[in-house]
Amino acid sequence: MGFRQSVLPYIASILICLCAVILAFTGSFGFAVAGIFLAALALVTTRKLLEKIATANEQACFLDEKLVQSQKLASIGELSAGIGHEINNPLAIISQETEWMQHILKRIGEKDSKEVTELQDSLKEVLHQVDRCREITQNLLDFARRKDPVFQEVNVNKLIEDLSRLVEKEAILHQIEIRRDFQQDLPLVHTDAPSLRQVVLNLLTNATHAVQKDGKIRIATKSSQNGSVDIIVEDTGCGIPKDHLVKIFDPFFTTKPEGKGTGLGLSICHGIVDKLGGRISVSSEVGKGSTFVVTLPVNQQRGTRPS
Amino acid sequence: MSGKPKVLIVDDEERFRTTMAKLLTVNGLEVTAVGSGKDALEELKAKPYDVITLDIRMPGMSGLEALAEIKKVNPGIEVIILTGHASVDTAMEIMKLGGYEYLLKPTSTEELMNKIDAAFERKLTREQKTRKGEGS
Repeated sequence: MGFRQSVLPYIASILICLCAVILAFTGSFGFAVAGIFLAALALVTTRKLLEKIATANEQACFLDEKLVQSQKLASIGELSAGIGHEINNPLAIISQETEWMQHILKRIGEKDSKEVTELQDSLKEVLHQVDRCREITQNLLDFARRKDPVFQEVNVNKLIEDLSRLVEKEAILHQIEIRRDFQQDLPLVHTDAPSLRQVVLNLLTNATHAVQKDGKIRIATKSSQNGSVDIIVEDTGCGIPKDHLVKIFDPFFTTKPEGKGTGLGLSICHGIVDKLGGRISVSSEVGKGSTFVVTLPVNQQRGTRPS
Repeated sequence: MSGKPKVLIVDDEERFRTTMAKLLTVNGLEVTAVGSGKDALEELKAKPYDVITLDIRMPGMSGLEALAEIKKVNPGIEVIILTGHASVDTAMEIMKLGGYEYLLKPTSTEELMNKIDAAFERKLTREQKTRKGEGS
């Protein structure tokens, strides 16, 4: 609060007090009491009003800062997306040229000399490093996509069905079955569809990686009476040991071999679900499989979570 | 599976499309490569193809626009989007336009071959079903 704002109420109340004293000396005691009461009231009211003005000013400054911050983040996001996309294309060419060299080496390297073996080893390493770069660009693109959610009425069953079809194409190649178990009268959910797609796609992809050939994945939806909707992704995979379960949503925690996973997928999912006002939980048994449950409020109010 | 698929590569990056054509050819496929959506539509009028690999970000006609046009000309053809510019939402858009699959660059020839084989198999199965339907 500024100097003028803190002094002004006192000056106003002193003036009223002075009026009261003058009135007392002129013999109007009742007016004097009333004057003092008014002075006290003026002091309290003015202070309250000024406090409100100060809070509003602070809030305006905060919003300005937030706006600048979000504009900065948006620029970083655009830059990251640009870098990610532009790097992917030359990476594709490096990868192809390396494969072409491997092909030529196979043709000429029938004698299997030491040099040829070394060259083959080097080219294999180039491809390995290309894979690493691909992971990095993918993370940059994921980061760029992290925008403020736009809440709309979403048909969750349809959203999941579309994604299941997408993942099924890959799953069929490994004889993995994706079983749908949707509640038919599921209410529309007030949420951000692109963010929810990212979460469900991540859970489904993880499930296909967890189950071996001939495994099963069940994706289900159900609503509960407390105004929330559950999305359940269940797999018959290898399961997660108890000591890993507590760290599963930590950034950079991964059980995949080096270079195969960044350990950011579930952490990003956790962040998104939190932003959508929901929660994500996991239960698992080693050797039997895992179940991930995303609980979302049907009517999202900022900052509220389903109980 | 009867025969090998005839594949059309559509990508504005010349080095990418020529090396990809060589890699797919040594794997036994019959491959042609063009540099734009417009050239792809011309090529489709001249020759029949089974599978197309299509880039999204190209000057002139974008990959998604090209996909819509290709499906108008030849609805039975299978299109695999192969791009450095994909997201879940793009994948949804591709599916809505009738695309078969999308792959994010860089991808290995083996992975691409698997997708092409699966797309070709789907095309053949659909054609067989149509023939059976017409026969009965």
